[in-house]
Amino acid sequence: MEESKQKLYNERLGRYLAAIKRKPIDRISTSIPVGSYADAISGYTIQELMYDPQKAEDRAVKFLKRYPEIDTFSAGFSSAVDFDILNSRLYRIPGRDIDPNSIRQFNEQEWMKADEYRRFIDDPIGFRMDIYFPRILGEYEKRGSIRSYIAFLKAGMQQGIAREQSRQINTRIKNEFAIPPSSQGIINAPFDTLTNLFRGLHGIMRDMFRQPDLVIEACEAILKQNLASCVAMADPKKQLPVWIGATRAGFLSPKQFEKFYWPTFYKGLMVLIEAGWTVRIFIEGNWNVHLDHLAEFPKGTVLFDLDNDTDIFTAHEKFGDKNAISGGIPTDMLILGTPEEVRQRVKLLIETVGKDGGWIPNSGGSIPAGCKPENFQAVLDAVKEFGVFHTGPAPKPEVSDMLDVKPQLPQIDRFITSWEEVKESNNWKIPGDEELIKRNWELFERMAYSWVISRR
Amino acid sequence: MKELVAAITNLEEEAAVAIVEKKLQAGVSAHDILAACNEGLIAVGDLFSEGEYFLTELMFSGEIMNSIMEKLTPYLSAGETTATKGKVVIGTVLGDIHDVGKNIVINLLKGHGYEVIDLGIDVPAAEFVKAVKETGAKVLGLSALLNTTYPEMKTVIDELKKAGLRDKVKVIIGGAICSEKVREFTGADDYATDAIKGVTFCNKVYGHE
Repeated sequence: MEESKQKLYNERLGRYLAAIKRKPIDRISTSIPVGSYADAISGYTIQELMYDPQKAEDRAVKFLKRYPEIDTFSAGFSSAVDFDILNSRLYRIPGRDIDPNSIRQFNEQEWMKADEYRRFIDDPIGFRMDIYFPRILGEYEKRGSIRSYIAFLKAGMQQGIAREQSRQINTRIKNEFAIPPSSQGIINAPFDTLTNLFRGLHGIMRDMFRQPDLVIEACEAILKQNLASCVAMADPKKQLPVWIGATRAGFLSPKQFEKFYWPTFYKGLMVLIEAGWTVRIFIEGNWNVHLDHLAEFPKGTVLFDLDNDTDIFTAHEKFGDKNAISGGIPTDMLILGTPEEVRQRVKLLIETVGKDGGWIPNSGGSIPAGCKPENFQAVLDAVKEFGVFHTGPAPKPEVSDMLDVKPQLPQIDRFITSWEEVKESNNWKIPGDEELIKRNWELFERMAYSWVISRR
Repeated sequence: MKELVAAITNLEEEAAVAIVEKKLQAGVSAHDILAACNEGLIAVGDLFSEGEYFLTELMFSGEIMNSIMEKLTPYLSAGETTATKGKVVIGTVLGDIHDVGKNIVINLLKGHGYEVIDLGIDVPAAEFVKAVKETGAKVLGLSALLNTTYPEMKTVIDELKKAGLRDKVKVIIGGAICSEKVREFTGADDYATDAIKGVTFCNKVYGHE
């Protein structure tokens, strides 16, 4: 990267990281989640953006040329090809199932039945391969058929290709536009994984009343699986936060939240935090009654993206001194309101929630597709007008002093077929270097395990 | 009957079903049992409105009611099992396939005695207009999760106007993305961000307050 660009990159990254750590910054960070809005103004349909990496790259380029004020941008390519290869029934795909201009939509069902918890908990791989996948993956419905084998083969190949496509886009964005991504790696709340992918809201609602112990046990099992997969993908430099969408707590009463949601959610995030990572959580829906819990996280470890329903001023009162908050510009204001309304709102938020830098502009989770361009510009202009603390240099991106700290991961067997098993069943004597063979065997075993566990 | 009302209000499913079975064996009329159940459901709705209960608790009261109806239905005459309070047309608007919120409202409305005409998901404006015309429903519910649907909600209401039906039906838009600003933009009569408000709205329109 050129020197001037490296400097700009460091300013943006440094400002963002300092905002999360609650350290002094030169101006309000503009690490604004803009994905849907960037899609909408790209000139391409959502279908084109999900099938054509050139167009996905062009979307990022167009956006960043137009809005150089942005501090971070997640430019990756979210390929729909993968959803076709296995025919995932969890999603409705733009251009294939729904309007090419719609976003990908989630098809919530009770994909796992109420009496299948035991197998789900005791045998996560077997449950998926034998029961869950034939239901959610159309191409695997007739498992054991040639078609089903080929579908898995193609899906494995596609994963490598899609990663490389995303990497190329991100590298160009970094080198040409000096923009860091806003997060690296994803983890989900175990209760959300269980609800979204397996039981659906109706199913989990009944389970919480009829078989509460199994819900808790399942969340604990999911936590172990989610953590192992997350750590493998998180930023090895421990600078960029891990991203979490916390989706279902808004539907729960405080008692249910404390019993089913919070314990494994908090435990999982604390494993990451204690190993030196920070986290960025999208607090979806109404969390007003759960805010005291969010105050439990240590200072400078979490950035909270609040949805429209959660009161940002109360949240600020409860934990604004410890952790940064993003949000507070109503989604409907960006779509239907005026630039002056937006300007006044941003001013108010900077003077209150953001008075010492702990606020990042955002709507309910992200800038909506229908945001009027003049309203988005008003957000950026208001940051320049009201959100500059000093004209000195931005803070430097801090290097983690916890690089050597290993996460305290729960012990789980992340192999589907262990090396010992394959060696024994073939009666291999291994006259050469066993470690060389074993290491590669296990590398691919862990990749396969993560693939099966996180497949949707 | 007080203990049945209390069991439903406290969301004690096994207790509620056991009481219903006992009452039926003792020869209590199914009609009277049903009335007590409704009293319990209304109490749950009130607790929800007061912020005491949350969505999943409101939903579970509907589940308890389903379990009770399995026991009661054989004892009720045909007229007593069908809804009588009024008709409601509901659907998720074009461009949106989410039905979780819509289905919660439907369960509640049925529990409260409404006949619900469910048009499903991704419903074009013309289908809403057709259903309102054919059923003569006085309430139309437009559901959505995506904030990209504001223009489509407006389209439905504009189409109702063109068809000369706007003054014959009250329209409520529902979903977490709704607000007074969105209501005003779409031209709806009211908006709801929680399920019980849909029931309150229908009660108002049909005069069951």
